[in-house]
Amino acid sequence: MTFAASKGINLFIPKVYDIVWSLIILAIVAVFFYKFFMPKFNAIFDERAEKIEGNIAKAKKAKEDADSAKKKYEDQLNHARVDASKITDNARSEATKIISDAHTRADKEAEQITSNAQRSIASQQQQAMVTLKSEVGTLATALAGKILGSKLQDSDVQSNMLDDMIDDLDKKTDNTK
Amino acid sequence: MDIITLAAVSGNLSVIGYGLATLGPGLGLGILFGKAMESTARQPEVSGKIQMIMFIGLALVEVLGLLGFVAALVL
Amino acid sequence: MIEAVGANMLLASASGADLPGVNDFLPPEILFQGTPFAINRIILIRIVATILLLIILGITAARAKLIPGRWQGLIEYGMDFVRNSVVYETMGELRGKRYVPMITTLFFTIFFFNLFGVIPGANMAATATITMPLVFAIWVLVQYWVAACREKGLWGYIRDECFTPGVPWPVYILLAPIQLLELVIIRPASLTIRLFANMISGHLTVATCLAFAQFWMIESSNKMVGVPVGAAWFLGGIVMTLFEVFVAFLQAYVFSILATVYINLSYPEAE
Repeated sequence: MTFAASKGINLFIPKVYDIVWSLIILAIVAVFFYKFFMPKFNAIFDERAEKIEGNIAKAKKAKEDADSAKKKYEDQLNHARVDASKITDNARSEATKIISDAHTRADKEAEQITSNAQRSIASQQQQAMVTLKSEVGTLATALAGKILGSKLQDSDVQSNMLDDMIDDLDKKTDNTK
Repeated sequence: MDIITLAAVSGNLSVIGYGLATLGPGLGLGILFGKAMESTARQPEVSGKIQMIMFIGLALVEVLGLLGFVAALVL
Repeated sequence: MIEAVGANMLLASASGADLPGVNDFLPPEILFQGTPFAINRIILIRIVATILLLIILGITAARAKLIPGRWQGLIEYGMDFVRNSVVYETMGELRGKRYVPMITTLFFTIFFFNLFGVIPGANMAATATITMPLVFAIWVLVQYWVAACREKGLWGYIRDECFTPGVPWPVYILLAPIQLLELVIIRPASLTIRLFANMISGHLTVATCLAFAQFWMIESSNKMVGVPVGAAWFLGGIVMTLFEVFVAFLQAYVFSILATVYINLSYPEAE
Protein backbone atom coordinates (compact mmCIF):
# COMPACT_ATOMS: atom_id res chain seq x y z
CA MET A 1 0.00 0.00 0.00
CA THR A 2 2.76 2.43 0.89
CA PHE A 3 4.51 1.33 -2.28
CA ALA A 4 1.51 2.22 -4.46
CA ALA A 5 1.10 5.56 -2.68
CA SER A 6 4.70 6.57 -3.22
CA LYS A 7 4.36 5.67 -6.90
CA GLY A 8 1.25 7.78 -7.34
CA ILE A 9 2.64 10.86 -5.71
CA ASN A 10 5.75 10.66 -7.84
CA LEU A 11 3.60 11.69 -10.78
CA PHE A 12 3.10 15.11 -9.26
CA ILE A 13 6.65 15.79 -8.19
CA PRO A 14 8.63 17.38 -11.00
CA LYS A 15 12.09 16.00 -11.54
CA VAL A 16 15.06 18.26 -12.12
CA TYR A 17 15.95 16.95 -15.55
CA ASP A 18 12.32 17.11 -16.55
CA ILE A 19 12.17 20.79 -15.61
CA VAL A 20 15.40 21.47 -17.49
CA TRP A 21 14.20 19.82 -20.68
CA SER A 22 10.74 21.38 -20.46
CA LEU A 23 12.25 24.85 -20.10
CA ILE A 24 14.66 24.26 -22.97
CA ILE A 25 11.85 23.04 -25.20
CA LEU A 26 9.53 25.87 -24.22
CA ALA A 27 12.27 28.40 -24.92
CA ILE A 28 13.02 26.87 -28.32
CA VAL A 29 9.37 26.69 -29.30
CA ALA A 30 8.62 30.19 -28.06
CA VAL A 31 11.60 31.69 -29.86
CA PHE A 32 10.60 29.84 -33.01
CA PHE A 33 7.05 31.11 -32.86
CA TYR A 34 7.89 34.68 -31.82
CA LYS A 35 10.85 35.24 -34.13
CA PHE A 36 10.02 33.20 -37.19
CA PHE A 37 6.58 31.68 -37.48
CA MET A 38 4.30 34.55 -36.48
CA PRO A 39 6.20 37.35 -38.28
CA LYS A 40 6.35 35.28 -41.43
CA PHE A 41 2.65 34.53 -41.43
CA ASN A 42 1.74 38.04 -40.34
CA ALA A 43 3.71 39.39 -43.29
CA ILE A 44 1.79 37.06 -45.57
CA PHE A 45 -1.55 38.05 -44.01
CA ASP A 46 -0.70 41.73 -44.38
CA GLU A 47 0.40 41.27 -47.96
CA ARG A 48 -2.77 39.37 -48.74
CA ALA A 49 -4.96 41.99 -47.09
CA GLU A 50 -3.14 44.67 -49.04
CA LYS A 51 -3.61 42.79 -52.27
CA ILE A 52 -7.28 42.22 -51.58
CA GLU A 53 -7.70 45.89 -50.77
CA GLY A 54 -5.82 46.78 -53.95
CA ASN A 55 -8.08 44.51 -55.95
CA ILE A 56 -11.14 46.04 -54.36
CA ALA A 57 -9.85 49.50 -55.22
CA LYS A 58 -9.14 48.35 -58.75
CA ALA A 59 -12.61 46.89 -59.06
CA LYS A 60 -14.08 50.13 -57.71
CA LYS A 61 -12.10 52.12 -60.25
CA ALA A 62 -13.20 49.83 -63.07
CA LYS A 63 -16.79 50.23 -61.94
CA GLU A 64 -16.40 53.98 -61.85
CA ASP A 65 -14.91 53.93 -65.33
CA ALA A 66 -17.75 51.81 -66.59
CA ASP A 67 -20.26 54.11 -64.94
CA SER A 68 -18.73 57.21 -66.46
CA ALA A 69 -18.54 55.55 -69.88
CA LYS A 70 -22.14 54.51 -69.57
CA LYS A 71 -23.09 58.03 -68.58
CA LYS A 72 -21.18 59.39 -71.54
CA TYR A 73 -22.93 57.02 -73.91
CA GLU A 74 -26.29 57.85 -72.42
CA ASP A 75 -25.54 61.56 -72.78
CA GLN A 76 -24.53 61.00 -76.35
CA LEU A 77 -27.64 59.03 -76.97
CA ASN A 78 -29.75 61.79 -75.47
CA HIS A 79 -27.90 64.34 -77.55
CA ALA A 80 -28.47 62.28 -80.66
CA ARG A 81 -32.11 61.93 -79.82
CA VAL A 82 -32.45 65.68 -79.31
CA ASP A 83 -30.51 66.33 -82.48
CA ALA A 84 -32.70 63.96 -84.43
CA SER A 85 -35.85 65.57 -83.17
CA LYS A 86 -34.39 68.98 -83.93
CA ILE A 87 -33.51 67.85 -87.42
CA THR A 88 -36.94 66.44 -88.04
CA ASP A 89 -38.46 69.66 -86.72
CA ASN A 90 -36.22 71.68 -88.97
CA ALA A 91 -37.03 69.50 -91.90
CA ARG A 92 -40.69 69.76 -91.19
CA SER A 93 -40.59 73.55 -90.88
CA GLU A 94 -38.45 73.78 -93.97
CA ALA A 95 -40.88 71.60 -95.82
CA THR A 96 -43.78 73.79 -94.75
CA LYS A 97 -41.75 76.84 -95.71
CA ILE A 98 -40.96 75.37 -99.09
CA ILE A 99 -44.56 74.46 -99.60
CA SER A 100 -45.75 77.90 -98.59
CA ASP A 101 -43.06 79.47 -100.78
CA ALA A 102 -44.20 77.38 -103.68
CA HIS A 103 -47.75 78.36 -102.92
CA THR A 104 -46.96 82.06 -102.86
CA ARG A 105 -44.82 81.81 -105.95
CA ALA A 106 -47.51 79.95 -107.80
CA ASP A 107 -50.07 82.49 -106.65
CA LYS A 108 -47.82 85.31 -107.75
CA GLU A 109 -47.18 83.73 -111.08
CA ALA A 110 -50.82 83.07 -111.58
CA GLU A 111 -51.58 86.64 -110.72
CA GLN A 112 -48.85 87.83 -113.06
CA ILE A 113 -50.13 85.63 -115.81
CA THR A 114 -53.65 86.86 -115.27
CA SER A 115 -52.52 90.47 -115.19
CA ASN A 116 -50.36 89.99 -118.26
CA ALA A 117 -53.25 88.41 -120.00
CA GLN A 118 -55.54 91.21 -118.95
CA ARG A 119 -52.98 93.78 -120.00
CA SER A 120 -52.50 92.19 -123.38
CA ILE A 121 -56.23 91.91 -123.73
CA ALA A 122 -56.56 95.59 -122.87
CA SER A 123 -53.80 96.64 -125.27
CA GLN A 124 -55.24 94.51 -128.02
CA GLN A 125 -58.61 96.03 -127.30
CA GLN A 126 -57.05 99.48 -127.41
CA GLN A 127 -55.27 98.65 -130.65
CA ALA A 128 -58.44 97.27 -132.07
CA MET A 129 -60.20 100.41 -130.92
CA VAL A 130 -57.58 102.65 -132.50
CA THR A 131 -57.71 100.73 -135.73
CA LEU A 132 -61.43 100.67 -135.62
CA LYS A 133 -61.52 104.41 -134.90
CA SER A 134 -59.31 105.26 -137.82
CA GLU A 135 -61.07 102.87 -140.17
CA VAL A 136 -64.44 103.95 -139.04
CA GLY A 137 -63.32 107.55 -139.38
CA THR A 138 -62.13 107.14 -142.93
CA LEU A 139 -65.06 105.01 -143.76
CA ALA A 140 -67.46 107.48 -142.28
CA THR A 141 -65.68 110.45 -143.94
CA ALA A 142 -65.78 108.76 -147.26
CA LEU A 143 -69.35 107.86 -146.78
CA ALA A 144 -70.32 111.28 -145.61
CA GLY A 145 -68.32 112.94 -148.39
CA LYS A 146 -70.13 110.86 -150.88
CA ILE A 147 -73.44 111.65 -149.26
CA LEU A 148 -73.06 115.32 -148.63
CA GLY A 149 -70.76 116.10 -151.57
CA SER A 150 -69.65 119.58 -151.75
CA LYS A 151 -71.99 120.70 -149.00
CA LEU A 152 -69.43 119.83 -146.59
CA GLN A 153 -66.38 121.40 -148.20
CA ASP A 154 -65.28 123.25 -145.12
CA SER A 155 -62.74 121.13 -143.47
CA ASP A 156 -63.21 122.67 -140.08
CA VAL A 157 -66.83 121.71 -139.92
CA GLN A 158 -65.89 118.31 -141.25
CA SER A 159 -63.29 117.63 -138.61
CA ASN A 160 -65.49 118.94 -135.81
CA MET A 161 -68.32 116.73 -136.89
CA LEU A 162 -65.95 113.78 -137.04
CA ASP A 163 -64.56 114.39 -133.60
CA ASP A 164 -68.04 114.64 -132.11
CA MET A 165 -69.00 111.41 -133.72
CA ILE A 166 -65.89 109.62 -132.48
CA ASP A 167 -66.41 110.93 -128.98
CA ASP A 168 -69.87 109.56 -129.05
CA LEU A 169 -68.42 106.29 -130.21
CA ASP A 170 -65.87 106.36 -127.43
CA LYS A 171 -68.55 107.00 -124.84
CA LYS A 172 -70.55 104.17 -126.21
CA THR A 173 -67.60 101.70 -126.07
CA ASP A 174 -66.72 102.85 -122.59
CA ASN A 175 -70.23 102.19 -121.45
CA THR A 176 -70.22 98.74 -122.99
CA LYS A 177 -66.97 97.95 -121.35
CA MET B 1 -6.67 -11.22 4.22
CA ASP B 2 -3.08 -11.07 3.13
CA ILE B 3 -1.31 -7.84 2.23
CA ILE B 4 -1.80 -8.10 -1.57
CA THR B 5 -5.57 -8.36 -1.30
CA LEU B 6 -5.59 -5.34 0.93
CA ALA B 7 -3.62 -3.32 -1.62
CA ALA B 8 -6.08 -4.31 -4.33
CA VAL B 9 -8.98 -3.22 -2.19
CA SER B 10 -7.27 0.08 -1.49
CA GLY B 11 -6.77 0.73 -5.21
CA ASN B 12 -10.39 -0.01 -5.93
CA LEU B 13 -11.49 2.24 -3.09
CA SER B 14 -9.63 5.21 -4.44
CA VAL B 15 -11.18 4.65 -7.86
CA ILE B 16 -14.62 4.56 -6.28
CA GLY B 17 -13.72 7.72 -4.39
CA TYR B 18 -12.74 9.38 -7.64
CA GLY B 19 -16.01 8.24 -9.18
CA LEU B 20 -17.90 9.87 -6.32
CA ALA B 21 -15.79 12.99 -6.62
CA THR B 22 -16.74 13.40 -10.27
CA LEU B 23 -20.44 13.51 -9.43
CA GLY B 24 -20.43 17.04 -8.07
CA PRO B 25 -18.31 18.62 -10.81
CA GLY B 26 -20.31 16.64 -13.37
CA LEU B 27 -23.56 18.19 -12.17
CA GLY B 28 -21.85 21.54 -11.90
CA LEU B 29 -20.55 21.39 -15.45
CA GLY B 30 -23.95 20.38 -16.73
CA ILE B 31 -25.65 23.29 -15.01
CA LEU B 32 -22.86 25.67 -16.04
CA PHE B 33 -22.96 24.87 -19.73
CA GLY B 34 -26.72 24.57 -19.80
CA LYS B 35 -27.16 28.00 -18.26
CA ALA B 36 -24.49 29.48 -20.50
CA MET B 37 -26.28 28.11 -23.56
CA GLU B 38 -29.60 29.35 -22.28
CA SER B 39 -28.34 32.87 -21.72
CA THR B 40 -26.53 32.89 -25.05
CA ALA B 41 -29.75 31.90 -26.76
CA ARG B 42 -31.56 34.64 -24.86
CA GLN B 43 -28.99 37.33 -25.56
CA PRO B 44 -26.68 36.32 -28.40
CA GLU B 45 -25.07 39.77 -28.50
CA VAL B 46 -23.20 39.24 -25.20
CA SER B 47 -22.11 35.67 -26.05
CA GLY B 48 -18.42 36.66 -25.84
CA LYS B 49 -18.72 37.86 -22.26
CA ILE B 50 -20.88 34.89 -21.28
CA GLN B 51 -18.32 32.56 -22.76
CA MET B 52 -15.53 34.20 -20.81
CA ILE B 53 -17.38 33.98 -17.51
CA MET B 54 -18.36 30.41 -18.37
CA PHE B 55 -14.73 29.44 -18.79
CA ILE B 56 -13.76 31.00 -15.47
CA GLY B 57 -16.53 28.97 -13.86
CA LEU B 58 -15.40 25.88 -15.74
CA ALA B 59 -11.91 26.30 -14.32
CA LEU B 60 -13.28 26.56 -10.77
CA VAL B 61 -15.64 23.61 -11.14
CA GLU B 62 -13.07 21.39 -12.76
CA VAL B 63 -10.60 22.02 -9.97
CA LEU B 64 -12.84 19.94 -7.72
CA GLY B 65 -12.86 17.00 -10.11
CA LEU B 66 -9.12 17.32 -10.60
CA LEU B 67 -8.59 17.33 -6.83
CA GLY B 68 -10.43 14.02 -6.75
CA PHE B 69 -8.18 12.69 -9.49
CA VAL B 70 -5.04 13.78 -7.71
CA ALA B 71 -6.26 12.42 -4.42
CA ALA B 72 -7.10 9.07 -6.00
CA LEU B 73 -3.59 8.78 -7.38
CA VAL B 74 -1.67 10.23 -4.45
CA LEU B 75 -3.32 8.93 -1.28
CA MET C 1 -22.54 -15.88 -19.95
CA ILE C 2 -22.02 -12.47 -18.44
CA GLU C 3 -20.98 -14.03 -15.19
CA ALA C 4 -18.54 -16.18 -17.05
CA VAL C 5 -17.10 -13.15 -18.78
CA GLY C 6 -16.86 -11.36 -15.48
CA ALA C 7 -15.14 -14.26 -13.88
CA ASN C 8 -12.77 -14.56 -16.78
CA MET C 9 -12.06 -10.85 -16.57
CA LEU C 10 -11.19 -11.10 -12.92
CA LEU C 11 -9.01 -14.01 -13.78
CA ALA C 12 -7.46 -12.03 -16.59
CA SER C 13 -6.57 -9.04 -14.48
CA ALA C 14 -5.21 -11.39 -11.88
CA SER C 15 -3.23 -13.52 -14.29
CA GLY C 16 -1.67 -10.77 -16.29
CA ALA C 17 -3.12 -8.89 -19.21
CA ASP C 18 -0.38 -6.29 -19.53
CA LEU C 19 -2.36 -3.50 -17.93
CA PRO C 20 -1.00 0.05 -17.92
CA GLY C 21 -0.34 1.83 -14.67
CA VAL C 22 1.29 4.89 -13.25
CA ASN C 23 4.66 3.32 -13.93
CA ASP C 24 4.14 4.16 -17.60
CA PHE C 25 4.55 7.77 -16.65
CA LEU C 26 7.67 7.23 -14.62
CA PRO C 27 9.96 5.58 -17.13
CA PRO C 28 13.60 4.95 -16.25
CA GLU C 29 16.27 7.34 -17.42
CA ILE C 30 17.97 6.03 -20.52
CA LEU C 31 20.54 8.72 -21.31
CA PHE C 32 22.83 10.90 -19.17
CA GLN C 33 21.57 9.19 -16.01
CA GLY C 34 21.97 11.23 -12.88
CA THR C 35 22.75 14.55 -14.58
CA PRO C 36 20.30 17.46 -14.92
CA PHE C 37 20.10 16.55 -18.61
CA ALA C 38 18.93 12.98 -18.09
CA ILE C 39 16.52 11.75 -20.75
CA ASN C 40 13.79 9.21 -20.25
CA ARG C 41 11.24 7.90 -22.72
CA ILE C 42 8.75 10.76 -22.34
CA ILE C 43 11.45 13.41 -22.64
CA LEU C 44 12.78 11.68 -25.72
CA ILE C 45 9.27 11.79 -27.20
CA ARG C 46 9.08 15.45 -26.24
CA ILE C 47 12.37 16.26 -27.97
CA VAL C 48 11.33 14.37 -31.10
CA ALA C 49 7.96 16.15 -31.03
CA THR C 50 9.67 19.52 -30.73
CA ILE C 51 11.97 18.80 -33.63
CA LEU C 52 9.04 17.60 -35.76
CA LEU C 53 6.99 20.65 -34.82
CA LEU C 54 9.84 22.97 -35.76
CA ILE C 55 10.46 21.14 -39.03
CA ILE C 56 6.81 20.97 -40.07
CA LEU C 57 5.83 24.51 -39.14
CA GLY C 58 9.22 25.86 -40.24
CA ILE C 59 8.85 24.37 -43.72
CA THR C 60 5.26 25.57 -43.87
CA ALA C 61 6.28 29.08 -42.91
CA ALA C 62 9.30 29.12 -45.19
CA ARG C 63 7.25 27.99 -48.15
CA ALA C 64 4.25 30.10 -47.27
CA LYS C 65 2.74 31.68 -50.31
CA LEU C 66 0.21 34.39 -50.90
CA ILE C 67 -2.25 31.90 -52.30
CA PRO C 68 -2.31 29.08 -49.76
CA GLY C 69 -2.29 25.42 -50.68
CA ARG C 70 -4.25 22.85 -48.72
CA TRP C 71 -1.72 22.32 -45.96
CA GLN C 72 -0.97 26.00 -45.57
CA GLY C 73 -4.70 26.65 -45.57
CA LEU C 74 -5.10 24.23 -42.67
CA ILE C 75 -2.34 25.89 -40.66
CA GLU C 76 -3.77 29.32 -41.43
CA TYR C 77 -7.20 28.10 -40.38
CA GLY C 78 -5.69 27.09 -37.04
CA MET C 79 -4.00 30.47 -36.65
CA ASP C 80 -7.22 32.26 -37.56
CA PHE C 81 -9.08 30.13 -35.04
CA VAL C 82 -6.66 31.04 -32.24
CA ARG C 83 -6.57 34.70 -33.16
CA ASN C 84 -10.27 35.31 -33.68
CA SER C 85 -12.15 32.68 -31.68
CA VAL C 86 -9.82 32.54 -28.70
CA VAL C 87 -7.95 35.82 -28.28
CA TYR C 88 -10.01 38.54 -29.94
CA GLU C 89 -13.32 37.05 -28.82
CA THR C 90 -12.18 37.19 -25.21
CA MET C 91 -9.93 40.24 -24.98
CA GLY C 92 -10.91 42.40 -27.90
CA GLU C 93 -8.54 43.25 -30.70
CA LEU C 94 -6.75 46.16 -29.03
CA ARG C 95 -5.52 44.23 -25.99
CA GLY C 96 -5.31 40.90 -27.71
CA LYS C 97 -2.75 41.83 -30.34
CA ARG C 98 0.12 41.60 -27.87
CA TYR C 99 -0.83 38.08 -26.79
CA VAL C 100 -1.60 36.47 -30.13
CA PRO C 101 1.90 34.98 -30.57
CA MET C 102 1.91 33.60 -27.03
CA ILE C 103 -1.49 31.97 -27.29
CA THR C 104 -0.68 30.64 -30.75
CA THR C 105 2.49 29.11 -29.36
CA LEU C 106 0.58 27.52 -26.50
CA PHE C 107 -2.20 26.19 -28.71
CA PHE C 108 -0.06 24.70 -31.45
CA THR C 109 2.54 23.26 -29.09
CA ILE C 110 0.05 21.68 -26.71
CA PHE C 111 -2.08 20.32 -29.53
CA PHE C 112 0.91 18.80 -31.31
CA PHE C 113 2.38 17.40 -28.10
CA ASN C 114 -0.99 15.93 -27.10
CA LEU C 115 -1.32 14.22 -30.46
CA PHE C 116 1.70 12.08 -29.63
CA GLY C 117 -0.57 10.17 -27.27
CA VAL C 118 -2.14 8.47 -30.27
CA ILE C 119 0.76 8.37 -32.72
CA PRO C 120 1.89 4.76 -33.00
CA GLY C 121 5.37 4.20 -31.68
CA ALA C 122 5.13 7.09 -29.25
CA ASN C 123 1.75 6.26 -27.64
CA MET C 124 2.51 8.77 -24.96
CA ALA C 125 1.65 12.43 -25.08
CA ALA C 126 4.68 14.67 -24.88
CA THR C 127 2.78 16.66 -22.27
CA ALA C 128 2.30 13.58 -20.10
CA THR C 129 4.58 14.55 -17.26
CA ILE C 130 3.57 17.18 -14.77
CA THR C 131 6.46 19.43 -15.74
CA MET C 132 5.58 20.38 -19.29
CA PRO C 133 2.05 21.63 -18.46
CA LEU C 134 3.49 23.22 -15.32
CA VAL C 135 6.01 25.19 -17.35
CA PHE C 136 3.29 26.35 -19.72
CA ALA C 137 1.11 27.32 -16.75
CA ILE C 138 3.93 29.23 -15.09
CA TRP C 139 4.46 31.13 -18.32
CA VAL C 140 0.79 32.10 -18.21
CA LEU C 141 1.12 33.01 -14.51
CA VAL C 142 4.07 35.29 -15.23
CA GLN C 143 2.25 36.87 -18.14
CA TYR C 144 -0.84 37.75 -16.17
CA TRP C 145 1.10 39.08 -13.21
CA VAL C 146 3.23 41.19 -15.53
CA ALA C 147 0.12 42.48 -17.28
CA ALA C 148 -1.46 43.28 -13.92
CA CYS C 149 1.62 45.13 -12.65
CA ARG C 150 1.75 47.16 -15.84
CA GLU C 151 -1.95 48.01 -15.92
CA LYS C 152 -2.92 48.45 -12.27
CA GLY C 153 0.28 48.23 -10.29
CA LEU C 154 1.02 45.26 -8.06
CA TRP C 155 -0.89 46.52 -5.01
CA GLY C 156 -3.77 47.78 -7.08
CA TYR C 157 -4.15 44.34 -8.63
CA ILE C 158 -4.01 42.49 -5.33
CA ARG C 159 -6.43 44.99 -3.78
CA ASP C 160 -8.87 44.66 -6.66
CA GLU C 161 -8.77 40.87 -6.61
CA CYS C 162 -8.70 40.17 -2.86
CA PHE C 163 -10.81 43.05 -1.60
CA THR C 164 -13.38 43.21 -4.34
CA PRO C 165 -15.37 46.41 -3.87
CA GLY C 166 -19.05 46.12 -3.01
CA VAL C 167 -18.67 43.23 -0.55
CA PRO C 168 -19.44 43.66 3.17
CA TRP C 169 -16.16 43.71 5.11
CA PRO C 170 -16.53 40.52 7.22
CA VAL C 171 -16.59 38.51 4.04
CA TYR C 172 -13.07 39.70 3.26
CA ILE C 173 -11.73 37.51 6.06
CA LEU C 174 -12.86 34.51 4.07
CA LEU C 175 -12.57 35.93 0.58
CA ALA C 176 -9.13 37.53 0.60
CA PRO C 177 -7.05 34.40 1.36
CA ILE C 178 -9.06 32.33 -1.09
CA GLN C 179 -8.63 34.88 -3.85
CA LEU C 180 -4.91 35.20 -3.16
CA LEU C 181 -4.59 31.43 -3.15
CA GLU C 182 -6.40 31.31 -6.45
CA LEU C 183 -4.20 33.96 -8.04
CA VAL C 184 -0.97 32.33 -7.02
CA ILE C 185 -1.63 28.59 -6.86
CA ILE C 186 -5.02 27.41 -8.01
CA ARG C 187 -4.95 28.97 -11.48
CA PRO C 188 -1.63 27.50 -12.62
CA ALA C 189 -2.25 24.27 -10.71
CA SER C 190 -5.64 23.74 -12.33
CA LEU C 191 -4.22 24.51 -15.77
CA THR C 192 -1.41 22.04 -15.16
CA ILE C 193 -3.42 19.24 -13.66
CA ARG C 194 -6.26 19.53 -16.17
CA LEU C 195 -3.93 18.95 -19.08
CA PHE C 196 -1.80 16.37 -17.29
CA ALA C 197 -4.77 14.39 -15.96
CA ASN C 198 -6.40 14.31 -19.36
CA MET C 199 -3.25 12.92 -20.90
CA ILE C 200 -2.87 10.30 -18.17
CA SER C 201 -6.47 9.16 -18.31
CA GLY C 202 -6.42 9.12 -22.11
CA HIS C 203 -3.34 6.97 -22.19
CA LEU C 204 -4.67 4.67 -19.50
CA THR C 205 -8.01 4.21 -21.27
CA VAL C 206 -6.54 3.48 -24.69
CA ALA C 207 -3.84 1.25 -23.28
CA THR C 208 -6.32 -0.69 -21.15
CA CYS C 209 -8.57 -1.31 -24.15
CA LEU C 210 -5.67 -2.49 -26.30
CA ALA C 211 -4.16 -4.60 -23.52
CA PHE C 212 -7.44 -6.43 -23.03
CA ALA C 213 -7.85 -6.84 -26.78
CA GLN C 214 -4.38 -8.39 -26.94
CA PHE C 215 -5.11 -10.61 -23.98
CA TRP C 216 -8.49 -11.90 -25.16
CA MET C 217 -7.67 -12.41 -28.80
CA ILE C 218 -4.18 -13.86 -28.56
CA GLU C 219 -3.34 -15.03 -25.07
CA SER C 220 -6.72 -16.37 -24.00
CA SER C 221 -7.00 -20.12 -24.24
CA ASN C 222 -10.75 -20.09 -24.89
CA LYS C 223 -10.89 -18.73 -28.46
CA MET C 224 -14.69 -19.07 -28.75
CA VAL C 225 -15.25 -16.43 -26.09
CA GLY C 226 -11.92 -14.69 -26.47
CA VAL C 227 -12.07 -13.48 -30.06
CA PRO C 228 -15.41 -11.61 -29.95
CA VAL C 229 -14.67 -10.11 -26.56
CA GLY C 230 -11.22 -9.11 -27.74
CA ALA C 231 -12.73 -7.62 -30.91
CA ALA C 232 -15.10 -5.56 -28.77
CA TRP C 233 -12.16 -4.33 -26.70
CA PHE C 234 -10.27 -3.50 -29.89
CA LEU C 235 -13.24 -1.55 -31.24
CA GLY C 236 -13.35 0.30 -27.93
CA GLY C 237 -9.65 1.03 -28.35
CA ILE C 238 -10.25 2.55 -31.78
CA VAL C 239 -13.10 4.67 -30.49
CA MET C 240 -11.05 5.82 -27.52
CA THR C 241 -8.14 6.66 -29.84
CA LEU C 242 -10.38 8.90 -31.91
CA PHE C 243 -11.73 10.39 -28.71
CA GLU C 244 -8.15 11.07 -27.64
CA VAL C 245 -7.58 13.11 -30.81
CA PHE C 246 -10.62 15.15 -29.92
CA VAL C 247 -9.41 15.52 -26.33
CA ALA C 248 -6.01 16.62 -27.61
CA PHE C 249 -7.67 19.46 -29.48
CA LEU C 250 -10.09 20.25 -26.68
CA GLN C 251 -7.39 20.50 -24.03
CA ALA C 252 -5.26 22.73 -26.22
CA TYR C 253 -8.31 24.92 -26.77
CA VAL C 254 -9.27 25.02 -23.09
CA PHE C 255 -5.70 25.73 -22.03
CA SER C 256 -5.31 28.60 -24.45
CA ILE C 257 -8.72 30.13 -23.75
CA LEU C 258 -8.19 29.92 -19.99
CA ALA C 259 -4.78 31.53 -20.39
CA THR C 260 -6.45 34.33 -22.37
CA VAL C 261 -9.19 34.74 -19.79
CA TYR C 262 -6.70 34.90 -16.91
CA ILE C 263 -4.61 37.51 -18.70
CA ASN C 264 -7.73 39.47 -19.54
CA LEU C 265 -8.75 39.45 -15.87
CA SER C 266 -5.56 41.34 -15.08
CA TYR C 267 -6.73 44.28 -17.14
CA PRO C 268 -9.11 46.91 -15.79
CA GLU C 269 -12.77 46.14 -16.27
CA ALA C 270 -13.55 49.04 -18.59
CA GLU C 271 -13.44 47.96 -22.21
